[in-house]
Amino acid sequence: MAENGAHDSQLLKGVLSLALMRLLAERESYGYELVTQLHELGLTEIQDGSVYPALGRLERDGQVTSRLVASSSGAARKYYRLSPAGYGALTHIELAWQSLVRAIEPILSRPVPAKPKEALP
Amino acid sequence: MNQVALSTKDRLRIELAVRTVDWELDGRVPMARRRQIRQELRSNLLEAATQVGAEKAVRQLGDLKALAGSYLELYRGRLDFRAGAFWAFISYVAIQVLGFALFFAFHAGIAAGGSHGGSYSFELWPGFGPFAGEVSASGNSFQVLLGSPAHLLLVMVAFSIGSSYRRVLARH
Repeated sequence: MAENGAHDSQLLKGVLSLALMRLLAERESYGYELVTQLHELGLTEIQDGSVYPALGRLERDGQVTSRLVASSSGAARKYYRLSPAGYGALTHIELAWQSLVRAIEPILSRPVPAKPKEALP
Repeated sequence: MNQVALSTKDRLRIELAVRTVDWELDGRVPMARRRQIRQELRSNLLEAATQVGAEKAVRQLGDLKALAGSYLELYRGRLDFRAGAFWAFISYVAIQVLGFALFFAFHAGIAAGGSHGGSYSFELWPGFGPFAGEVSASGNSFQVLLGSPAHLLLVMVAFSIGSSYRRVLARH
């Protein structure tokens, strides 16, 4: 997290699929509901317009499946759920993420010198 | 969260956003896929609008062209009809410009040669329509083909290259 509490958009982009897959592993959901869940979890910088194509990408790659359900607003909602292949991929990505965090953590925990050392000639 | 009742203006605003995205996909993404995208976008926007208002719901989508670009990246069809039509048009204009340039050069040549009476015609490549013309010696009437089987052939070649080159380049 940055000093002002905002998240780096490039970092968010990288972990968006993981976050969506993790939420969909808990229960079937649709685009806007997933957006509001992400916002409630503090990822308020994530725009709706990046979530919907990300869901499409997961569906194209076979990680999620979808079905249309009639809604009170008139237009049918597209509900997504994690596919069996998605569960396998999620386990793999979660392990990769945890491994990455473990590798980065020691670097970030080092004290930062007040002034960078002079560059070698 | 309180639900906001949607006015006709709100619904129009949502439909405009959906159609703006859809317009960028026109001719590039298969029709059935476009219908699915429109349906999902509309449904999500309507729900968002009842929560936060239509204006904010549309704003939350972010840049609509960027959104359409993400969909294009995902669902681009085998042929890009829009790019194909553009290059077909450009090639037709180029053919006509070249045809007229040849005609005026020919016309100037006749005038410089001091020819009188009769009509003169030229054909750069026999049987290849666009690059042929006819001019009367007085210069009062002339004829240049605006359409011919050769026009059609060149325009079709431009269309097929223009509509598929992006996919071919992406493969390499």
